[in-house]
Amino acid sequence: MAPYFVNSTDTLVSDALAGFARAHADLLTLDPDHGFLTARTASPHRRVALLSGGGAGHEPMHAGYVGRGMLDAACPGRLFASPHNRQVYEGSLAVARAEGVLHIVKNYTGDRINFGIAAERLAHRAVPCARVLVDDDLASDSEEIAAGRRGTGGTVLIEKILGGAADTGLGLAELQELGTNLAARCRTLAVASAAHTAPTLGEPAFHLAAGELEYGVGIHGERAKATTRHHPLASLIERMTGELLGALAPKPGAAAITLVNGLGAVTLLELYAAHGELARVLDARGITLARSLVGDYATALDMRGFSLTVLLAEPADLAFYDAPVHTAALRW
Amino acid sequence: MTTADKALSTGAWIRRFADTVRSTQAQLTALDQQVGDGDFGTNLVAGTAAALVRLDTLASLDARGAPGDAAALEAAATAFLDEVGGTSGPLFGLLLQSLAASVTELGPTTPALSRGVAKGLAAICRVGGAAPGDKTLVDALAPAAAALEALPARTRPAAALDAAAEAAWQGVRDTARLRARMGRSSYVGERAAGVPDPGAVGVALLFASAAGSVEDLTPYLYASCNPAAGHDVRHTPSGSPPP
Repeated sequence: MAPYFVNSTDTLVSDALAGFARAHADLLTLDPDHGFLTARTASPHRRVALLSGGGAGHEPMHAGYVGRGMLDAACPGRLFASPHNRQVYEGSLAVARAEGVLHIVKNYTGDRINFGIAAERLAHRAVPCARVLVDDDLASDSEEIAAGRRGTGGTVLIEKILGGAADTGLGLAELQELGTNLAARCRTLAVASAAHTAPTLGEPAFHLAAGELEYGVGIHGERAKATTRHHPLASLIERMTGELLGALAPKPGAAAITLVNGLGAVTLLELYAAHGELARVLDARGITLARSLVGDYATALDMRGFSLTVLLAEPADLAFYDAPVHTAALRW
Repeated sequence: MTTADKALSTGAWIRRFADTVRSTQAQLTALDQQVGDGDFGTNLVAGTAAALVRLDTLASLDARGAPGDAAALEAAATAFLDEVGGTSGPLFGLLLQSLAASVTELGPTTPALSRGVAKGLAAICRVGGAAPGDKTLVDALAPAAAALEALPARTRPAAALDAAAEAAWQGVRDTARLRARMGRSSYVGERAAGVPDPGAVGVALLFASAAGSVEDLTPYLYASCNPAAGHDVRHTPSGSPPP
C-alpha cells in the first residue's frame, strides 16, 4: 500500500488548488466560490479568451497552463471527474473577451456534457462561445467505441499553439478551425508498466504482473484492449511511433512537434531515452523533428507509464508554438 | 372552472413540481436503481428544493409577493443548472432556461411553451448527443414538443401542458421497450428491458405538475388505457379554445 500524503482524499484537490494559487500568485488567481483559475495578464491583442478544464489528477494540466500566452482560465474538476457546468459557465463569464470564449475540451462524455451545458448558458446570455474537441488518443480509435477517441496529452500542444494564435488577434471561428485542424493532425499513445494508486483505496487501480505492459492505457487508468509483454525501449518506441505515423499518414518531409509525457511515476532518464528513440524513428522515416517537449505535462496521478504524442505542424503552427508563454508549467 | 381554464402561473407550477418530486422520490430512486446509479430522485429533489429557495427569495423582494412568470422559470433554471450534480438535473435546467427565454419574449402563452420546449429539446440533444429512441429523457420531451407544436396558438396554456403531459407519459411507457444506446441505462444493457427511463419520467412529471401534484407514478407507468383514471390530476380534453 502506498498511502497519499493528504489531509483527506476528499480535500486533496481543493487543498492542492489553494497551494497552487499561493505558489503562482504572480500568474493567476483562484476564484473561491466556483473553483476556477484565471490568468492575471494576457496579451492586449487577444480578442477571444481560451478556457480549458477537466478532472483533477492530471497535473500540471490544466491549471499549470494558465497564464500569458496560453489559457485565460482553467476549471479543474474533482479527481478524474468533469468540472461542474457552473464552474465552466462562471469561469467563461469571468474571462470572455469582445469575441467570446473558446472551450478546449478533451473528449469524454462528462466533459462534453458539462462544457456543453455551460455553452448553452453562455448562448442564453449572448456570450459567443465555440469548442475545440481534442480526441488524440489512438488506443480508443475504434468503430466499436461510439464516444470516439479520448482526449489526452496532445491537449497540451494544442493549447500552446492556440494560445500563440489567440495572441495574434485571431477571431473565434478562426481559432476553432485551427484547433479542430490541430486535433485532426495529432495522435497520442500511452503505455504503463504499473497502474496509478487509487487515492481512496491506497491500492493500484489494476494489477500487472512483472514484465507485463498495458499498451494503450487511458489517463484515468482505463485498461487497454490488450496487455502485452514488456519490450526493450527501442522496439517499444518503434512500434508506438509506427502506429502513430500510420494513423497520421504524414507526407515525406513533414514537420512534427512531439511530446514525450510522463504519466506520474516515470523518471526523466526514461523519458529522455524514449525521446531519443522517437527522434531516431522520425529521422529514419524522413519526418522533421521540429520541436520537442519532454517531461510530466499530462499525468495520471502516479501511473508508471508515459505517452508519445506526434502533432504534424504547419509553418504557422510552429510560429504560434514558439511565441512567448509564461505559465506555471510552460515558460519560454 | 377546471384547472385547464385558469391562467398559467409558472411559480405555482414549479412549486407543484417540487411537491410531485418529493412525493415520488422513492419511486424515482427505485426506478433509477434498476437502470442507473440511483441518484436521479435525489438530484430532482435537490433541484426543486433549490428552486423553492430562489422562488421564496424572489417573492420576498417582489411588491406583489410573487415573481413574474419568466423570473420564476429563470430562478428554477438557475437552481437546476448551478446546484445539482450529475447530468440529468442540469439538463432539466436547460429546458427551464429555454422556457424562461420564450416566456420573457411571448408571455406565459401556448406559443411560448411550444417554442421553449422545442428549443430546450434542441439544446438537450446538442449537449447530450441523444436522439429519440436512445432511452433518455428525450423520449418524453420530443413527443411533448410535438404535441405542443400541433396545438392552435390560442389554446389555453394549462390545456397545452395537459396535452404535453399526456404525450410525455406515452413516451415514458414507450421507453420501457427501448434498449439504451447512451445515458444512464446504456451500461446495463438488457437488464434495463421493461423499465421506463427515469429521466423521461421526470420530464412527464414536470408537465403533469402544471395541473396538480402527482403522488404515485404507478398508474402512469403501467396503464394500458387511461393513465390518469382514478387519479387526482384532472384531465381536460385539449384542443381549440372556445370561439
